Amino acid sequence: MYQPMLFLHWKQIRMVLALLVVASFGLPLLAVEGLGTPPGLDAGSLEAYRLVLASQTWAVFFPVLAAAIGIILGLSAWNWDHQLNHIYPLSLPLTRWEYTMLKMGAGVTLALLPVVGMWIGAHLATAFLTLPAGLNAYPNELTIRFLFAIVFFYGLMFAMAAGTIKTTIWVMGTFVGLVLFALLGNDLLANYYDFFVRVNVVDLFFEWMVEAPGPFQVITGSWSLIDV
Amino acid sequence: MNNAIELTHVTWKASKSFELRDISLRVPVGSIYGFLGPNGSGKTTTIRLFMGMMKPDSGGISVLGRPVPRDMKPILARVGYVPERPHVYPALTVGEQVKFHSSFYKLWDKGWATELMGRLHLDPGQKISRMSKGETGKLLILLALSQRPDLLVLDEPTDGLDPVVRRDVLSAILDYVSEVSATVFISSHLVHELERICDWVGVLDGGRLVAEMPMQQFKNGIKRIRVADAPEVPDNVPFTLLSRSQDNGTGSIETWVVRGWEPPMRHYFDGVGATVRDIIDLDLEEGFVELLRSSRPQHTNGS
Repeated sequence: MYQPMLFLHWKQIRMVLALLVVASFGLPLLAVEGLGTPPGLDAGSLEAYRLVLASQTWAVFFPVLAAAIGIILGLSAWNWDHQLNHIYPLSLPLTRWEYTMLKMGAGVTLALLPVVGMWIGAHLATAFLTLPAGLNAYPNELTIRFLFAIVFFYGLMFAMAAGTIKTTIWVMGTFVGLVLFALLGNDLLANYYDFFVRVNVVDLFFEWMVEAPGPFQVITGSWSLIDV
Repeated sequence: MNNAIELTHVTWKASKSFELRDISLRVPVGSIYGFLGPNGSGKTTTIRLFMGMMKPDSGGISVLGRPVPRDMKPILARVGYVPERPHVYPALTVGEQVKFHSSFYKLWDKGWATELMGRLHLDPGQKISRMSKGETGKLLILLALSQRPDLLVLDEPTDGLDPVVRRDVLSAILDYVSEVSATVFISSHLVHELERICDWVGVLDGGRLVAEMPMQQFKNGIKRIRVADAPEVPDNVPFTLLSRSQDNGTGSIETWVVRGWEPPMRHYFDGVGATVRDIIDLDLEEGFVELLRSSRPQHTNGS
């Protein structure tokens, strides 16, 4: 049952997925293109600085790509079923949980393709690069972070897309409502309570979102292929 | 288990304008049950309720002796379902869809599926999105029959199909039923189609089950009777009086449409001083129309 479900998702997204695999493979290569120590020259401190700076500049694209892959996979997982009003899956001899898990598993399996592309690209990009002393390449670490980020965004989008448009609007609305409440509520309460002058609820909210064990922690931190 | 499908006092409300009210329905095992009703009467909703796709507000449902929705997984493994509108993935080819579908059914009959594909002139390489309505209908029948189901649930399976395709589809269904003693639940508003193949009939109108009986009884028991000097208030009638109307320009002659008619009932009219002038057999469609007319509130049909 898993294999046909995998085939179904693959059939739906194969063209886009091929592009995403190419992008995942090419991004680490682009990140180091033209870098490294020219033959015959010592890897000096200026060269090291240039490498780290370039790597950090490109680093922003990795989580963006991971998010794009996760979102596209998550949205596409339910797309056909939404179009057909879910009648077909509901008529199959599966519990709703089984169907959902099969679908989820198929998407995660497909997500491995760009991850493998990233892993190969990252290793190729750093294999022929002579790094100055003190700098290291992190192809495996970057790939693992890339995998987690894809799975996080895929899971998020898969869960949201599983419901009706009404449910998705409700979830998004709640999130926006929380942000607005944090923004407006803090200023309002600061007029009455000193605590809200000293502590910014907005900052606390976003810190909670992006720092461990916050849900968005996976996209923060170092995404550099080359770092100290 | 005497009934393949059993609904007991099922109600389900969609909105102020539509609800299923107190539906009690029994589909005997091995029968071909025709579920008749005009468009919008609630046929598809009833099917979705016993297929476990929706939960009733109240009442009980069992299919193949198991409770719905609790035991849906084993139930659906034994049910072949053809919905009102095609539910298969348009981007797949016929062969891909058949392979996908087969992986969920332990009793899938590959040989029968291949045979049906040839018999129904389906091309395994053809993309579903490029198929005509008739071809898609045939594919849905193939999928449902190749599961070797104990119960076939067909929701308007031939609606919009041309006569040739319709004949192919019905013949495939009847062949299957003659080979395996499966129960068939077939909903339609095409009365003549059901008349030929069904042995039980249920009539739904405005969310209510207005009749349920063996087809033979339904076909034979509905008559149009022309009566002279009919009593103003008929008492103790041995049949169900569906409607009565004054014949134009004939003074004392009325036309009665009755259900449950049998020849000895003619004596009733002698007893009340009336005379039977004529007894006309109604075909199923006329009977169906009269039944609906009689079941609806008087102000809606003006009679």
